[in-house]
Amino acid sequence: MFGNVPQFRYRFRTNGNWRYPGSVRALPGKASRQPPGPEPVSRDAAAADQRRRILRATAELIAERGYQETTMEEIVRRAKVGYATFYKHYADREAAFLALLDAAFDRTVSRVEDAYKREEGPWADRVGAALGVLFADVAANPEVARVCLVEAVAAGAEPAARHEAALKRLAPLLRPGRELNPRQAELPESLEETLAGGVVWVLGQRLIAGEADKLRGLFPETLEFLLRPYVGEDEAAREAGEVAEAISA
Amino acid sequence: MPAEELGPLPAGRHGYSREQVAHHQRERLIAGLAAAVAKRGYAAVTLADIVREAKVSRRVFYANFEGKEQCFLAAFEVVVDHLRELVGEAVEAVEGWPRQAIAATRAALRFLAAEPDLARLCLLESRGAGPAVNARFNEAVAELAPLLARGRAERPAGERPLPGSTEDSTLGALVSLVHRKVATGEPERLEELLPECAELVLLPYLGPAEAARLAREAT
Repeated sequence: MFGNVPQFRYRFRTNGNWRYPGSVRALPGKASRQPPGPEPVSRDAAAADQRRRILRATAELIAERGYQETTMEEIVRRAKVGYATFYKHYADREAAFLALLDAAFDRTVSRVEDAYKREEGPWADRVGAALGVLFADVAANPEVARVCLVEAVAAGAEPAARHEAALKRLAPLLRPGRELNPRQAELPESLEETLAGGVVWVLGQRLIAGEADKLRGLFPETLEFLLRPYVGEDEAAREAGEVAEAISA
Repeated sequence: MPAEELGPLPAGRHGYSREQVAHHQRERLIAGLAAAVAKRGYAAVTLADIVREAKVSRRVFYANFEGKEQCFLAAFEVVVDHLRELVGEAVEAVEGWPRQAIAATRAALRFLAAEPDLARLCLLESRGAGPAVNARFNEAVAELAPLLARGRAERPAGERPLPGSTEDSTLGALVSLVHRKVATGEPERLEELLPECAELVLLPYLGPAEAARLAREAT
């Protein structure tokens, strides 16, 4: 009942209008309050900051205890926003979770796609570059990765569909490998999604085991796994070996 | 484990011991949960649905389970135990690792295709049924790793050893493939995935040509 005392204080400061004025001197909430100064913060920037804090809090909490166990109360407390602010941005807990998944999946998959496009070498090198970015992203944000790769699958139909859609976006990066396989006509239609599923499964298992720091060694192995059905073991192992060498150098 | 095979015990003096009745009630609750989940999905299932399907009282439910997640876990275990048995029998029935791997894959897919509700329960519903069930799902998948890893002995002597994560990624790919078939509403057609699954399993150990040949032969 007294949960929104800080909001009260804020309302007082802004002449009773607790929605944001055209500009405020500091972002509300303690998390990112800036030192008082002459630079006012625009309403858009304040709203963007609130969303960022809400999504970060949602990610942290879900990574810590799973989606089912994460309550609205904990999200607003950790994000240092009031309930009203939360509801201004998201309809409910699931909406925040889905927004988080959309943002995180899109960010990483776009970066993976970019790395693939930027690499100009043969297809296997391009897959290596793309996979490297995926692994780097997971290692840099293990909490968000855990939410996307583990919790999303376990949180009901909508989040699982986001996970599935992200896998689908990775399939076109693998598909050109078919050209390198003399038996390409016999390859099953869903091979790419299946292999991508294998990769995110292994990543998810490592995150569950709390081994985000051991992903470097897994990267060449996973590259070999992805390439093998297209170019055969020798070529896949050679490519993986090159990557392993490059990492340790 | 269909519910209809587990009808209520006859009323009055039936000659069953107290332990037999308790065991029977637990089995009925598990079957009741499976039936309720098949009808409306785990998330929507209530305790009332489970006890209605099982034709037992709430008191009996609470004597057996703390809540619906625990009951689901018990149902999941029953299906996994049965699959483990089928896979074990399939492996014992044939000689040589490649044929054993194919036979095990076939046995699992055939059972799940014949029992689409149970396939949905253990492959789809289990993922959203709470952390305990999820952990058990991962363990059940990991249990298959040693069966795959025996394929390492099939590789010619002196060959470079396969990466340590080979079994994990292969199992992940299998889970993804089978999960998609169930999620798209076609669990009855799971057995069609046999050649694809078999090839995935054999490929790292036998190479593409031999894996493809044996997978084709499997159908």
